Formats: sequence, C-alpha cells, structure tokens
Amino acid sequence: MAARGHVQDPNDRRLRPIYDYLDNGNNKMAIQQADKLLKKHKDLHCAKVLKAIGLQRTAKQDEAFTLAQEVAVLEPTDDNSLQALTILYREMHRPELVTKLYEAAVRKVPTSEEYHSHLFMAYARVGEYKKMQQAGMALYKIVPKNPYYFWSVMSLVMQAISAQDEKLSQTMFLPLAERMVEKMVKEEKIEAEAEVQLYFMILERLGKYVEALEVVQGPLGEKLTSELQSRENKCMMLYRRLERWAECNALSCKLLLKNPDDWQFYLLYFDSLFHLIDQIENSHSAEGEVHSSISQALSFMEDRIATEEAKESKHLRGPYLARLELIRRLRERSCPEAQQLGEPLELMFQFFVKYGDKPCCITDLKIFLDLLKPDQHVQFINRLMEAVPLGAPGEDGVAFPGDTRALQRHLCVTQLSRSLGQQHALNTQGKLGLIKELKAHYRHGLQFGKSCLKTELQFSDMYCLMAAHVYIDLWLETGDQNMLWQSLGLLEEGLSHSSSNAQLKLLLLLLYCRLGAFEPVVDLYSSLDAKHVQHDTIGYLLTRYAESLGQFAAASQSCNFSLRFFHSNQKDTSEYVIQAYKYGAFEKIPEFIAFRNRLDHSLHFAQVRTERMLLDLFLEADISSPLEESVKLMSLCPEEDDILWDSLRDNRDLTVLVSWNPKDRQLNEEHKQRSLEEDTLWLRLRSLTLRLIGCISALTHHTSRNSEKTTENGVAAKPSSLRSLLSQLENTLNQATQFTEKQLQYPFVGPVPSRLAQALSSGCCQCQLSSLQLPLHLQELEAAGLDESTALQTQISNLFKSLAVQLQDMLEKCKGDPLEVKDSQSTTQHFLLENLVYFVETVCIVLWVSNYCGSVLRPLKSSLQKKKKKKKEASTVTPPVLSAYQEFNSSLQSLLNQALEHIKSQEISLTALKLGALSLEGQTQSEAEETFTKTAMDKVQSSYLRSLQEIGELLKKRADTLKSLKI
Amino acid sequence: MFNSLSFASICCSSYEIVIFTLICVFSSHSNLDPLTETYGIPFYLQYLAHWPEYFIVAEAPGGELMGYIMGKAEGSVAREEWHGHVTALSVAPEFRRLGLAAKLMEMLEKISERKGGFFVDLFVRVSNQVAVKMYKQLGYSVYRTVIEYYSASNGEPDEDAYDMRKALSRDAEKKSIIPLPHPVRPEDIE
Repeated sequence: MAARGHVQDPNDRRLRPIYDYLDNGNNKMAIQQADKLLKKHKDLHCAKVLKAIGLQRTAKQDEAFTLAQEVAVLEPTDDNSLQALTILYREMHRPELVTKLYEAAVRKVPTSEEYHSHLFMAYARVGEYKKMQQAGMALYKIVPKNPYYFWSVMSLVMQAISAQDEKLSQTMFLPLAERMVEKMVKEEKIEAEAEVQLYFMILERLGKYVEALEVVQGPLGEKLTSELQSRENKCMMLYRRLERWAECNALSCKLLLKNPDDWQFYLLYFDSLFHLIDQIENSHSAEGEVHSSISQALSFMEDRIATEEAKESKHLRGPYLARLELIRRLRERSCPEAQQLGEPLELMFQFFVKYGDKPCCITDLKIFLDLLKPDQHVQFINRLMEAVPLGAPGEDGVAFPGDTRALQRHLCVTQLSRSLGQQHALNTQGKLGLIKELKAHYRHGLQFGKSCLKTELQFSDMYCLMAAHVYIDLWLETGDQNMLWQSLGLLEEGLSHSSSNAQLKLLLLLLYCRLGAFEPVVDLYSSLDAKHVQHDTIGYLLTRYAESLGQFAAASQSCNFSLRFFHSNQKDTSEYVIQAYKYGAFEKIPEFIAFRNRLDHSLHFAQVRTERMLLDLFLEADISSPLEESVKLMSLCPEEDDILWDSLRDNRDLTVLVSWNPKDRQLNEEHKQRSLEEDTLWLRLRSLTLRLIGCISALTHHTSRNSEKTTENGVAAKPSSLRSLLSQLENTLNQATQFTEKQLQYPFVGPVPSRLAQALSSGCCQCQLSSLQLPLHLQELEAAGLDESTALQTQISNLFKSLAVQLQDMLEKCKGDPLEVKDSQSTTQHFLLENLVYFVETVCIVLWVSNYCGSVLRPLKSSLQKKKKKKKEASTVTPPVLSAYQEFNSSLQSLLNQALEHIKSQEISLTALKLGALSLEGQTQSEAEETFTKTAMDKVQSSYLRSLQEIGELLKKRADTLKSLKI
Repeated sequence: MFNSLSFASICCSSYEIVIFTLICVFSSHSNLDPLTETYGIPFYLQYLAHWPEYFIVAEAPGGELMGYIMGKAEGSVAREEWHGHVTALSVAPEFRRLGLAAKLMEMLEKISERKGGFFVDLFVRVSNQVAVKMYKQLGYSVYRTVIEYYSASNGEPDEDAYDMRKALSRDAEKKSIIPLPHPVRPEDIE
C-alpha cells in the first residue's frame, strides 16, 4: 500500500499499524486502531480514509463513503491520503472520483510531476481521452520528458478510435497526432521504439501507407528491434495494403527461404503470385527476385520440398502442406498445371506416411480433404490403411496395432474415414459393427497407457469418444434411447480410465443436459476446471440448463461463477491500460479496450445477469422478503434497459467439442447466426419479463403506500413504461413464435438450442403476458371506482377466469412420468421437468400480479363497507370484480395443491423405478459395460428426483404465500 | 521431428488477433488440458502491457492455436544479471512431438540476445521430468534448486523447482550458469 518507507515522518509511524491490519485482512482491528489514532490526532485525514477502507471491506459502503467524502472535500495534498482514497474509490468501483481528487491536488500543487501523472492515469482509468491529452501536455510542460509528450499523442489516437464520427477522426484527431509526432521527428527528438510504433500506428490509421513505409524503411525504422521480424512484418502488411504485389512476392520468397515453415508467408506468396499473373506487366522489386508465373512457383515449391527431402530428419510440415494449398488454388483458377504437382490422393498418402503417427496429422489433412473426388474416398482410406502396421486379426476379426505409433496411425485413418462421411453412410447393422470394432480398439489400446499419470490422457481415448459419437448417430436416426444409454455408459467407462480427458467430460456433460439431468453436470463441469474467459466461452453449457431443469441451487452457483469473472474483468482491464501507457505499449491500448468491450458486451454476460435476477426473484421475492425489497436490492429499474442490444457479442466457443462430421453436417455460419438470433430473442423475452416484474413491484408499493395515507382518491401513478413494456413483450413473443415455426436444427455438437421453443409450447409465455396485462385494467378500475364500472369489472372478472384456465392447461402439460420403462425400452420425458419449471415461474408472476390486484381491491372494498355502514344498507351484493378475485384465489389454491400432489406422485413413481431391470435389447453388453450404463442411468434418475424435489419445495413456499392475498 | 507453422506474434497484429489469442489461450481445447497452466486475465495483460514482444503464439494452417510462449526481460545489467525469463510455455496436445516448444524457445532466446541479456532462465517443477529433459536438450542446465517454490493446493506438500539457465553470447565465459552449491528459498531469489 501507500508509502511506508519514510520512517522519518511521525504520521507514517502512527499509520503503519493500520496499514498492516488492512494488509492482513484484519479490517476490524484496522478500524479500531484508526479510531484510537483519530481521538488523539483529529486532523490526521489519512487515518479516516484508512478507516473507510476497513468499513468498505466489511460491507459498510455507506459509512465508508461518507467518511471518505469528509476527507475529499478538504482536497488533501498529502501522499498518504491521496493514495488511500485512490484505493478506496477503486474498491468502490468509483474511479471517476479519483479524477476529482487529483484535479484538486494539481490545482493546489501545480508543479507536482507526481500528481499530474496520477491525474493522467486517473483519466485513463475512466477513458477521458481529451482530458488525458491535456494532462499529458501539462506534464510535458513541467517536465519535458518524451513519454509524457507521447502519452498526449496516444490520447489523441484514442479520441480518434472512440469517436463516433469517422470523419472527425480522419480530419482532426489523427492529423493532429501526426503533426505532433512530425514536430518531434523534425527536432530529432525521437528516442524510443515505442514512439516510432506510435507514429506507425497513426500513419496506418490515416491510410498513409507510403509514408508509413518510408518510416519503417528509413532511419526511424532502425529502432524497431524488440519484436522478431518487426520491420519485415510491417513492410509486408503495407505492401499488401498498397497492392505492391511484386514486393510482397519477393519478400515472402525471401522469408520462406529463411523459414520454410511459416504458413502465413506461403499464403502471401500465393496471393501475390496470382495477382502478378493477372497484372501481366513486368514486375521488379527492390526486395529481390519476383515470381510472376506458375512455372516459377512450381519450381519454387519443388525446391522447398527437395530441400526437406534432403534432410536426414526434422522434416517440416509447411512445404508439403503448401504444395496441397497451391494445388487447391490452381484448381480454383482451372489451371492445368495443378496436375504437375502430383495427384492429391498420392501426396496426402505420402504426408500420412511421414506424419501419420503424430496427432496433428488429422488436423493437417482435414483441411485438404475436399481435394479428393467423392469416388476416391474409399480408395484413399484403403490406401492409408495399408500403410498402418497392424498385427494378425484375432478371433473377432479385428487386427490391432502393436505400439502407440501404429495406434496413432490407425486412429488417424479412422478419423479421416469419419470426416469423409463413410461412417455416417453405414446402416444400423454396419454402425453397430463399427462400434464393436472401435470399442475393441479402445480397450486394446489401454495397455499402452498403463503407466500414464492421472493428468495424462490414454492413447486410445479417441476410439472411445468416436464410438460414443456413432451411438449418438444411431440414437438420432432411430430414436432408440438405448443407444443413448450405451453412449453414456461408454463415456463413463472412458472417464474411469482417463480422468483428465476434457473431451469425454464435455460430451458426457452435453448428453446429460440433453437428457434433462443436470445433477451429474455440476461435478463434470467443475472437474473441467474452467477458468477466466472459459466462463464466457463455455459457461453457456451450464447456464442454459441449470434453471430450466429446476436445479435452482446449482443455477445460482453457475451464474455466480460467470458473474464474478465478468465483474473482475471490468476492474482489472483498466489497470493494464494504465500499465500499457507506462511502458509505452501503445498498440496494446486499443486492443485491451476492445478486449474489455468484447467481454462487457458478451451475450452470455447479459444472459447470466438477467437470469440471475429472475432466479433471485423466483426464489426469494415475497418468500423471504417482499418483492419490493428484492427489486430495490438488485437496483432493478424497469425504465432502463441495461442491455446494449446492438453491440451484443457472441463469445461462445461452439466448436469446443471435437467432431469429425463431414462438411455437410458441420456447424456453419447460418447455424451460428440462427443460434445467436434465437438466444437474443429469448434474452429479450426474459429481460422484458424482468422489467415488467419491476413495474408490478413499483405499482404495488405505490398503491399500498397510497392506501395507508389517503384511503380515498388513491389514484396510483401509472408508470408509462408498463404499457410500452407490455407491447414490446407482445411483439417479441410474436417474433419468437415465427422463429420457432421454422424449426431449425443445429448439429448435435453445435450450439445448444435455447429455452425458447419449450417455453412457447408450455404456454408459459402467453400466460405470463396475460397476467402482466391485468394491472392495466386494475389501474382503470382504481380510477373509475366500483360504482360506475360494471363493464370493466366484467372484463376483469373474465380475465381472472381465463388466467385460471391457462394455468390449468399449463399444469396438464406437466403431467406424466419423466422417466418410463416399457417393454425393456426406456423413455425420458425431461420436457415435463422443464414444463414444471415454467409452471412454477408463471405461478410466481401470477402471485405477484395477484398481490398487486389485492392492493388495489382492498381499499375499494373497505371504502365500500364504510359507505354501507353510513347508509346502513342491508343489501350485500358484492361487486363482481371482488368475488371474481376471491374465486381466482381459491382456484389458485386448488391448482397449487393439485400441482404439489402431482409432483409428489411423480417422485414416488420415479423412486420406485428399477432401471437395473432394464435389459438393453439387441446389444449384448458385458457385465462391466452394464455397470457403467447402470451408473449413468442412476445419475439421470437421481437428478430427475432432485429436480422434482427442488421444484416441489419452491412451489410449496409459493403456496404458503397465498393467504396474504385475501382482501 | 521439428515443425512450426505460422507464427503470429500478437504484438504486430491487429487487435482482433490479440483478442482471438486471449480467448484461445483460455478456451481452446488445449486449455482444458490438465497440463496446461491457465492464468488469470490480469496476468496475461500485465505481460502484454510490459513485454509485448515476448508474447508469441503459433497457429496451424487450419487456424488452431498450436502453442504459445510468454516471457520477460529483467535483472540488473551492472551485476550481469540482465536476462530473459520464460514465464509460460505451452503446446496443445495434438501439436506435441513436433518440436514446437523448441522453436518457441529459440525465438525467445533470439529476442533476449537482442536485448543484450546474459542468459535465459526458467523454473520447472522438479517432478516434471519430461520438461527437464527437454530443456536439457535445448542447452539448459540446472543452476539452482528453489525449495518449495510451487505452493500446492489440496493438502499436498509444496514442490521444489529447478532454476534452469542457458548462457547467451554476451556471457561468453558462461559465468551465469555455474551451478550454486546449495539450494535457496523462494524469498532469496529476485
């Protein structure tokens, strides 16, 4: 923490114990010590701030803030106070207050280099680029050091980058930055590499590529030494921008001679080559020899290969793969010369001979498979298989590899065969045979990995994974759920031998989710040990399913993992922007900011934010604390939309699961686009629902307060947002319906479908909308009163009735057993669980709305009774709306009882189910296999049970709140 | 066997690449690999802000991240301790046994040479024999043992580290790599 080295200052000595307590996390003692000190030394401001830090860290934010402000208004200029306040404000997520602090400090001590520099950094933390520019110059005037000058220049660049108006960037900010640097160049004051980098950045952004090239190639360019090939890379980039293909070609040639394995330069070499061929003109380059004909390229490639071949060992992959790439490009242009490089099948075979025993072989060859004609596929695979050394076939006709290298080769061919669609083309019997063979290879291969550590993978894991995929193919084709059970069993078996294999875990996780069993997923995910950005890229796997399957505790936890990551990212990134200024890593600054934005605008972030709040409300509001309090606590403001819909970023890693699907079954751009659209629609629905709940809360609050103070004439304020949010919800619901009508399917290992389709079919969306519309009518009634509103009352009464019917319909869709066994076939109906969750969610909303209705009707009723008393009327005709409301509440009561009983009966039949008795027909499973399959089934069964229990518990708590609705 | 395709040093590329890299470094298949250390974002950002040239990633023709290396330059020039340090080196499982780690190390050494370092050093778990053997093949030798350098979680004992070094051309007499006779404690190293 703050400067503790200066022992000469008695205040430092006095403060020291407080610092120590804070450093050790002993906040209580720090506060006590600060109090003690403040008694003796009233104006030792820093002690106050340190006390505030202690308070902040013990969750007393308000007190901490007040105390800090007491010091801040004094505009302190002592180091200790300033630094302590900076720490405090950062912990409070109020970085803007730090700027105020140092603005005051530099006003009082205008020549302090240190305070000016702190001020600059404070502006950097909040992205005040213009003020940074000024602060940088002010610093430079006090202390003419180059870095300060260039801080100011960089701040201009940042203004250009962040400007909404591109024209302003190009005509004002960037030219100004350019002139500032030019001035230093003319005065020969350029000192550091970072300064040249910044100059380059400015010219590049201005599109002044010729000038940029002059800088890189001139004397200033000599400073660019830190990075490897820094000048070459920059020149190459500029040649491309300038379309100087001759230079581009000559330079890539030169660099490839130096490093024949650098893939990016092959691509540039080919790009430039074909541009030169199209240009016809004769090309020369100062960079060296230029290749502008196909024959030159052919001989260049042949030379590269010959050089590799001449080597004894350590052959590079680059030249061989580049040859295939050149064939592809020549074919695209229909150049007959493609044949001169050889037949792709033969070349790929040769590559396989060289690299087949490396795991990368499949990755390398996969991208060139489309060079093969479809009728060559069988021949290709057979040819490769001949080059796999296998032993003599055993009893079952399967021949096995004798060592790990042979195994890797065999595995490579098997993966290629799947990638070519050969496995998909098999019929059911063929697939079952294939599975048998893959399993045999898997188990045989385990012998090679007996000495593997726990953290290492088994050599033959991929066979296991692939067999599981073939089972899934069969399940998807035939609908036979036994295939799914066997797939799960096999993966469980694989995991028992290779407990660190992430791919096995991911596929298991996905299958359990698809089966509606979330319980096993919790452990699987935590054993993946996902960290940091992974919460953003694969966290969707968890958050999509946890809540929708009624595992509420796990759902909260999943959201928390992700949220913690996102919140810490926001704070952290700013600190490194500041560091980048300090170390002159200017080109990193926009990168860091773009990175932060990418995470801030993450679709997943918006999803977990919204779902977390909804979940908290469903679980807590009106159970442990009133809705109004919960809404206030999460500072939910219905008028404000906290999601920037236009800048949402889809950061999901949709290819994290290995798949060897042929091209036509692979994830494509349309899938990604559709999935993003679907997830966004769902998010919109949820976010609108959340805001509408906020509205209801505000209305209820208002009405009940009004009724306390002025029983008569209690006209509630009408937040205009209610009507507008309702119409938005209705529109989005229409869009959602249209979307789901298209019934788009994603590849199995691609994006997971959102909850949208199931939610719509459960009827919950429509029912929630109907209930949320009720308050509009009740507001009218509140204004009109009971006497002159017969038509309105009838309308409201009908709405209550219709709502009760809709809820009953929803409940009907929950009926049935989630897991059934009939004729040795098991059927899972996990959608029943999802429907139950939708039912419960809807009940929550209906109860909140009902509570609001009660708060409107109650005062109407009591004023009616007063009137009656005054007039002493004997007739007791209850206004229709009041009796309808009471009827509605009693039908809610019976509905909830029904639901609870139903859940109870589902639990009973699920517990009674003996899955062990299920013999998997048509498959002779070994005992060991049966055990693993049984394990998987037990997990699913237990998970369903848990879902039912959690859903039942919540519903029971909700039922208990019913009595408060009486009027 | 030695191979490395397409090195994209992220300090010289567009900002989409840095993002791509950071995302990859955390979330590609390789990072769900138990042997790959995954650090927090601040850790990566700190290195990118301070030593961008020492952050190098290697990418396969299909766009897969094959591996990355991250390091820094530190130490006093006056005491002839100015050197390059390897902080993290990681190769995705499917790109192992291709010599990629050696290539990445070579690049880091080259950068350290340019900066006028006396040597390059790194820390490795004493138990990680595969890595120790590889570094020895690349010309590194054990300079000293650091006791309980790696703090272990879940109740297991802390583990010692080897501090391994390789002299650069500036240290012609190879003074920097003469092994210390006794192990040191983590608090005694800089």
